[in-house]
Amino acid sequence: MSVQVVRALLAAFFSALIALPVGYFVAVWAGWTLFCTGLGLQLAFHFRNFARLERWSRNPIVDPSLEGEGAWDGVFGRLYQHEKDLRGQIAARDQEIALLIAAGQALTDGVVLLDGDNQILFCNTTAESQLGLVVQTDRGQPVVNLVRHPEFVDYLLLGDFSRPLTLRSERGEDRVLSIYIIPYAGKRRLMQIKDVTQSDRLDRMRRDFVANVSHELRTPLTVLAGFLETLQEIDVDREERTRYLELMAEQSRRMQSIVQDLLTLSSIESAPPPANDVVDMASLIDKLRRDAEALSAGRHQIVVEADSKADLRGSEPELVSAFGNLVSNAVRYTPPGGTIRIIWHTGAQGGEFAVEDTGIGIDAKHVPRLTERFYRVDRGRSRDAGGTGLGLAIVKHTLNRHQAQLDIKSTPGVGSRFSARFATRRVVDV
Amino acid sequence: MNDSQHLSSQFDEDLTRLRTTVLQMGGLVETQVSSAIEAYGTGEVSSVKHIVDTDRKVNDLELAIDDDCAHLIAKRQPAASDLRLVFGISKIVTDLERAGDEAKKIAKGVRRIYEAGQMPSQYGIGVRHIAEAALGMLRQALDAFARLDTELAVKVIQADANVDTEFKSIMRQLITHMMEDPRTITTSIDIIWIARAVERIGDHAKNVAEHVVYIVEGRDIRHPAKESKA
Repeated sequence: MSVQVVRALLAAFFSALIALPVGYFVAVWAGWTLFCTGLGLQLAFHFRNFARLERWSRNPIVDPSLEGEGAWDGVFGRLYQHEKDLRGQIAARDQEIALLIAAGQALTDGVVLLDGDNQILFCNTTAESQLGLVVQTDRGQPVVNLVRHPEFVDYLLLGDFSRPLTLRSERGEDRVLSIYIIPYAGKRRLMQIKDVTQSDRLDRMRRDFVANVSHELRTPLTVLAGFLETLQEIDVDREERTRYLELMAEQSRRMQSIVQDLLTLSSIESAPPPANDVVDMASLIDKLRRDAEALSAGRHQIVVEADSKADLRGSEPELVSAFGNLVSNAVRYTPPGGTIRIIWHTGAQGGEFAVEDTGIGIDAKHVPRLTERFYRVDRGRSRDAGGTGLGLAIVKHTLNRHQAQLDIKSTPGVGSRFSARFATRRVVDV
Repeated sequence: MNDSQHLSSQFDEDLTRLRTTVLQMGGLVETQVSSAIEAYGTGEVSSVKHIVDTDRKVNDLELAIDDDCAHLIAKRQPAASDLRLVFGISKIVTDLERAGDEAKKIAKGVRRIYEAGQMPSQYGIGVRHIAEAALGMLRQALDAFARLDTELAVKVIQADANVDTEFKSIMRQLITHMMEDPRTITTSIDIIWIARAVERIGDHAKNVAEHVVYIVEGRDIRHPAKESKA
């Protein structure tokens, strides 16, 4: 600072030094004029630089062509450096923020940030698809304007977030969401949304399974106990007695078959991989057809469409039981007069065994749950038809063990198609 | 100067609150409709009572919002787009309330059918389908209102035609049913009532979407034929 002052004084002193002799030898006015001109030049020089600085300060960009003269050079240099550093810092921060946002986007859980008035500040793509938000248009929008579910609104306004809220998502497929709200930084809130559809389904399956096993076994037990009591307390004639015993035998057979199916299921689950024998499909299909005809007793038309001579690799008894299950289901759920097709087809994609019927069909919402144990579309009907409720569960497990997929297509009132797709390596061309 | 700014921001706050309340009401109607559809599909008659109870809440909200609109106009004398918003809201509320009534009708129809020992979904599988479509329209119309998104609103208006066509085809199906087997007439008529209610929900969703266009663009597109003649 002092250097600048000394310089300015020196410049003034220099003008005075020239002006003084001129004023003394020539004329006083000439001396003053010269002195003023010197000072004026100095002023003009500073003003020019000041104007440059003033212009730049209106729009401070990093511009290397910006240079000052004399004492101004240092000022411009330092300003230039300062501006450049600042910009560098901002760029680094921006990148950091972008990385943080990218991390937020990468989360598999949905995240929504809310301000004190529950307006949306940020949400990631997962949350967008879970709640039907669009971040570009919905920033600043109260979240309850878009997630209008009354349960959610009450939960948010009540402000008790000790337990997560479980919400059935209203948008599209039946998803179950678990919403956590965590207050942070004063009045802001973070909404974390987990998709719990899968675990919700598993929970329900487990509950249903226990309830179903008990229920399935209790029904025949009740009948047995009832008859036993009657026989103990009342004297019945011989004929009546035989009838009771027959009914009791039937119920105990039923319990046996349920227990048998449960054991089969658990043994398939824990058994070593199936044998790798070559199963003769022609004779297997022939056997299936005969069984179907026997079960149908002439009420249905059984058609075999085997356009392939190839065989399958796997465990014969397991495959017989799985395919037999599909065929007997088709017979049982097809009204008299219907047609049942047994199809065996191989191609470049592998082999496909399918059973098609013109039966009552299954509503689409039941299809994903059909292979659950004891899952019944219509409780009364399937028990009358003599099922244990475990057939398709066994089929699915068996096919899984053979790396095959069970594919179910069905239209209510039109018919169903159950097909098992086998990989190419399971198919043996003859 | 400072005072008027304060007043106008208070006014903005009132408007925002009003909009949120309308959307809360919309949320209630949405759940009414979706539970009614579920009751139709699964036969869970237990939810019928809940739907009817919600209707009372919806009615209360309609009155409260209408009252708020009147107060807002009287106290603040809004102009231009603000005035359109208040008017639009008061119309949207009417449509929402009616959509809620239709949901109630569906629920009661479902209960009637089940109490007669029938399964409605066996007769009219298509009803479920248009019901989902109408619910989707209602949801989109409300989204369009929340975002003041006219593009989405126009989509909703166009979607209504599909619901109407499907409604007609369901009618034809049911008529065939009834002619084939007169025993199904009672149930079929109930299902026609339900389908009718669903179709009305679609209409109300369309109306809401039209009000959204009016709020945003100041253009009344309710009767396009008239407009093109003029």
